[in-house]
Amino acid sequence: MRRGVVAAPLLLVLAALGAHPEDREPDPKDALQSLLSNALQVTIAARVLPADEKPIWNALSTKLTLPGQSIRVRMDGENVRIYLVCTPYVQDNGEVLLLAQGQVWFAAPTENEVKYSSTFSSIPVSFGEVVLFFPLGISDQGATQKGILNVEVEIKIVPYKQPQPEQQ
Amino acid sequence: MCPDRHLISAYLDGEIESPWDKAVAEHLASCQSCRLLYNKLAEASRALREEPLADWRAPMERVHLALRSRTPPRQSQTSVWERRVSVPLPLAALAAALVLFLGVTFVATQLRPKIGLVRITKAPAGGTEIQISAPISELETLLKSVGAEDSTREDVILLPKNVRLLPVGEPRMGKAAEFPKVKTW
Repeated sequence: MRRGVVAAPLLLVLAALGAHPEDREPDPKDALQSLLSNALQVTIAARVLPADEKPIWNALSTKLTLPGQSIRVRMDGENVRIYLVCTPYVQDNGEVLLLAQGQVWFAAPTENEVKYSSTFSSIPVSFGEVVLFFPLGISDQGATQKGILNVEVEIKIVPYKQPQPEQQ
Repeated sequence: MCPDRHLISAYLDGEIESPWDKAVAEHLASCQSCRLLYNKLAEASRALREEPLADWRAPMERVHLALRSRTPPRQSQTSVWERRVSVPLPLAALAAALVLFLGVTFVATQLRPKIGLVRITKAPAGGTEIQISAPISELETLLKSVGAEDSTREDVILLPKNVRLLPVGEPRMGKAAEFPKVKTW
């Protein structure tokens, strides 16, 4: 009887001292590994292309980010400046909700003014699905204007894959 | 004319000053009714001075007894803290252990190292949970730094020079499937 009375508090104390495994400081390597396992790779491809023709110029930017963390890309031209801010969120179903904001500053060559337009979209996408952004708009009338170029920006999000260590 | 009854009483008490006291004395000597009144007052005054005061302690004690008999007797109450409670030994030991456990838990909670801003834990199901824990002041600073545009590095892509870029409409954004394969502008 007495042994039980003495042992019970000791067991409770030991349990209290050992009942906080989450309070242990995380190993920095584990923390980095956890961050990388959640990381997303966002590829932004900018193209300049004439109507109905293949691109005459393209550029590729690949960035790593975490869900909820924005990435910003600025495209500078002679008479245009384009901002693109992408914030991906990973939903519970594994899909990605992409919040994308585009801003366009355009200086008309013949007019002495600067035009500004912006767009904001929340687009649910799957990993690898392509989202297109036309900062200068897209003509719905099917008009073809020779000699005028447009900008197309392609956004693609995939989970980040860590490079495999080289086998010796 | 006879003096007032109060004036005769004042004369009896020696409160009439000279020469009015002599006038009152002469009137008392010549007036039968005033002399009778004076004698009555003098008799009453002497009686009050000479007779002993009645003993009031016995009636007072009787009043006290009557009051006590009307008040219900106060029951002797024992304080809750003074009551004796018999507790079985196992229950007492359990209570002591519980108090000890709570105390140790409290001390361990207070002494353990402060949690950092970010805590990363792996859930049993395999998921990873990232918790941000910080005092309000630090959390506000963190949110400001997260929300600040400067905190996000900006990549710059230089578009080709000597090309004529003209907007043909409002900016459009959407899934690739939403746009026609053959783009025209």
